[in-house]
Order: sequence, then C-alpha cells, then structure tokens
Amino acid sequence: MRQEQFVTRHQHEWQQFEQWLARRGGRARKLRGTLDADLPGDETIPERYRRLCQHLALARQRGYSPQLVEHLQQLMQQGHNLLYRTPPPRWQRAAEFLFAGFPQLVRSQGAAMWAACALFVVPLVAVFVLLQYQPDLVQLLLDPRQIAQMEKMYDPAADRLGRDSGTDWAMFGHYIMNNISIGLRTFASGLLAGVGTVLVLLFNGITIGAVAGHLQHIGSGDPFWRFVAGHAPFELTAIVIAGGAGLQLGLRLLAPGRKRRIDALVEGGTIGARLCLGVAFMLLVAAFIEAFWSSIAWVPAWGKFTASGVLWTLVIAWLWRGGHGGGDAA
Amino acid sequence: MLDTFREVVTPEGVPLQLPAAGPVPRALAWLLDLVVRFGVLALMSPLLAALGGLGRGLYLGLMFLMFWAYPIVLEAWHGRTLGKRALGLRVVARDGAPLGWMPAIVRNLLRTVDMLPFGYALGLVACLCDRHGRRLGDLVAGTLVVHTPAPPATPPARIDTVLAPPLPLQPAEQMAVIAFADRAPALAGPRQCELADIAGPLSQAQGKTGVLRLYAIANWLLGRR
Repeated sequence: MRQEQFVTRHQHEWQQFEQWLARRGGRARKLRGTLDADLPGDETIPERYRRLCQHLALARQRGYSPQLVEHLQQLMQQGHNLLYRTPPPRWQRAAEFLFAGFPQLVRSQGAAMWAACALFVVPLVAVFVLLQYQPDLVQLLLDPRQIAQMEKMYDPAADRLGRDSGTDWAMFGHYIMNNISIGLRTFASGLLAGVGTVLVLLFNGITIGAVAGHLQHIGSGDPFWRFVAGHAPFELTAIVIAGGAGLQLGLRLLAPGRKRRIDALVEGGTIGARLCLGVAFMLLVAAFIEAFWSSIAWVPAWGKFTASGVLWTLVIAWLWRGGHGGGDAA
Repeated sequence: MLDTFREVVTPEGVPLQLPAAGPVPRALAWLLDLVVRFGVLALMSPLLAALGGLGRGLYLGLMFLMFWAYPIVLEAWHGRTLGKRALGLRVVARDGAPLGWMPAIVRNLLRTVDMLPFGYALGLVACLCDRHGRRLGDLVAGTLVVHTPAPPATPPARIDTVLAPPLPLQPAEQMAVIAFADRAPALAGPRQCELADIAGPLSQAQGKTGVLRLYAIANWLLGRR
C-alpha cells in the first residue's frame, strides 16, 4: 500500500485519538464521564491504541516517510503515558491500607520486626538498668549540655512537661519535622546492607535508655514517665517498624535468595515504601499526642498511665489482629 | 557507558527509546528544586511568623512537606519536579511506563543514602557505574531519569517546487535528504554542491540544479504536495 492511501484510510482515526488525548491528557480525575458525542468512548481506547501501535509498526516496516513515523510515534508515546499512568489515589483504599494492609504487611515481615525490636529495646533496658547502679556512666553516653537540658525539661517544679519553650502548635510542627524525618531515615539507611538501620536503632535505644535512666536516678522520673507515657505506644512502635523495614531491605542486598539482587531490592523497596507510609502516619499521631496531651502537667499520673495503657492495647491489637479474616493479603 | 539509550518494548510490541540522563543535568535540576523549595519557605515565613505559635508549627509542617513530600508528589503526579521540567527531564519506570506512587516514594526516601557521605557522592558513584546513570534510589525503585527531547521541528520549505523521487527511498535515505534540506543553507555554496553531487543518481543532476532538486524531493517527502 502506498503511503498516501495508508494515510487517507487511517487519518480520521488518528485525529480522533489525538483529540481524545487532548481531552483526557490532563489530571485523571478531571472530566470523568463528560465526553463529546463525536469523540470515541473511553471503552474503545485500548483497542484503538493497539491499532495505532500496529499502524506504527507497519509504517516503520514499509519505510514510510520519517515524518509520518515520527507523528505516529508521538501519538503512541502519549497514549502509552496516559494508559499506563498511576490511577488517582482513593481515600477508601487509604483507609483500607491503614486498618488492614499495613498490619498485615508488618506481620509478613515479622522476623525483621522482632530483630529491630531487640536491637532497640535490649540496649534501652540494659542502659536504663545499668544507670541505676552506675549513675556516673551517663557522662559517657550523653554530653553535659544534653544532660542539663534534659534536667531542665523534666524539672518536677515546671508547669509544662517535657519542653523548654514553644506553644503546643509550634512543638507539633517540630515533632513532625524531627520524628518523621528520623523514622524515614531509619528505613532508608537500611540500604547500606542494614548497617545504617542497626546503628540508628542501637543509638536511639542507648540514648533513650540513658535519658530515662538518668532522670529516674536523680528523682525526675515522675514528670518524665508522665510525659512519655502518652506518645510512647505510637512513637516507639513506629521506630521499630521503620527499623524492621530497613533491615528487610538490607537483608535483600545481602541474601537475595533465588532472585536477581536488583529484583529482590526492588521488591524490598516497595514493601519498605508501604511500611513507611504507615510509619509516617503513626509518627504523625505520636506528634499530635506529644504536643497536645503529653505536655499537660495537671493530669495526674494515673490518668496518663491509663491513657497510655489504652493506647498500647490499641496499637498492639491493631498490629496483631488488623486485617485478619479480610481475605486478600497485601 | 557511551550508549545511554535504553530500548524497551511495550506490551503492544512497539519499541520505546529512553535516553537516560546523566548526573550533570540531574544535579542542575536538583539545584533548581532546592531554590524553589527555599523560595517557598522564605516567602511563607514572614506570613506565618505573624501567626505566632500556630504559624511556627505550620512553618515546620511546611518545611517537612517541602523536604519529603515535594519530590514524591510531583514525580508521582507529573513524572517530574519543577527543576526536572526546566531541564527537560522525566522520571519513568524501567519499562518506560509512567511512575507510580511506591517507586516515587522509594526513590526519594533513598536520597538519604545517595547523599552519603556528603553531597550525593554515593549517588554520583552509582550513577557513573550504572549503564543508565541510575543512583541507588533509582536502582531500588526500578526507575530511570530520561531526557524528554522536544519533537524535532520540521525544516521550513527551501523552495516552492515539489518533486517526487524517481525511485523509492529507504527510511534512512529519506532522513538524509530531509536533513540535507534542513542544514544545507548553513553551508557554503560549493560545499552544498559537493554534497548534492553524492546524491547525483537520485536527483539526476549536478551542481546547483542538484541542490534545488534535492530541496524539492525533501518537500515531497515532508508531505508538501
């Protein structure tokens, strides 16, 4: 077939496809269901797109003019980008992920999670206990300025718990910026064969253990525990989960199993990204609690500890039972 | 290393060419993004400072969004940040499909590692070692940064006459004739004739006439009939 015949025969179809692209090319949500009568319906597009690909292959093989081939290639590429693009996020899916998908995912990486938990909790408890018997060791673990700041923050005589200055809102922003960044970095540094994550977990465990142990020893334990009890369930769990996400990524680099290393890493990256979404959410909740609830000094200790107990139960129940019986594993 | 093109075949059996981008344009795009991000923060800070404690909290929240969410959201929606748009770059999946949310999250979270030990050194090393210039985050996310070249402009008509080529031409030969019509006016007259003489069997003429005939054939090939 000569090029002119080919073009005249199919030109109308290409133009229609081009118009459809122009209409639909914008954001995925826009214009849903509003189409002109003369434009092809959405349901015919995959078929039209495949036909266009066939035309392109024919034009190439028959040696039609470069300009025509280029035009068809452009149309094909635009169609490809549009047909294979990411669907817009749906809120229902987000809620589903939060309540079912995320706990399932955490459980599916159980071994890494328990390892991260041990790497975090063991040094924390060990340092805490050690400082009760050897209080001077705190000078090795924290520098004097940090110690002075901690003592000031948890002074039993202060009217606000756990902070030097700043309103609730300012501290909320501060906790978001700081804590979520730390959580995300804990995951990311797992790519260094897990070493980065291990270091972050150990370091955090030792620091928190040192602060808690020191404050307990000097008699500021009461304001400290009242402050941290509220947000600990979300914050500590989130750090452990971020650590677990990092460890599983590092493990895939070291021991990819029966896969190419790169494929194993890509899979681990996707799991890690999903875990990080949940971690970011948990840390957001923790930041909210920390800013608006934990710092209230007038709530008595039993109030704080009851709330903490309820939250711990909720978090554990969520991670342990969430998504059970839902059927579709994430 | 020299050939950074990656050719993938779509499910429909059509080859897609992905010209991978190297570290220099990507670093420039990153710098532009940095300027944009700091610009937004600098613009908002006096406004939010007027709100007191709430403003300070909002400012820190905005800082968080600018730092972590800006590249993720823009790359997942449009496939490129503002800096990448300015440099003509785009992030795609390794099979040429548009970027999804998870890969966008992975590649931007792992910037943390690429930045080590300072100034994206690890990312640069990975970028130089990889065939397609991918940094570590790209490798794990399964993504690729490519150039999005502007579609080539068709050369303006050199003369009004149109001439059908006396014999059918292969695509490469057609390209050569069109490229000649595009670029010959920038050459000296004798050089034009010299080049046109090579295509003597096609134009069936020598010298100036040959040049003009080639222009006319290019017109025909470009569909100006």
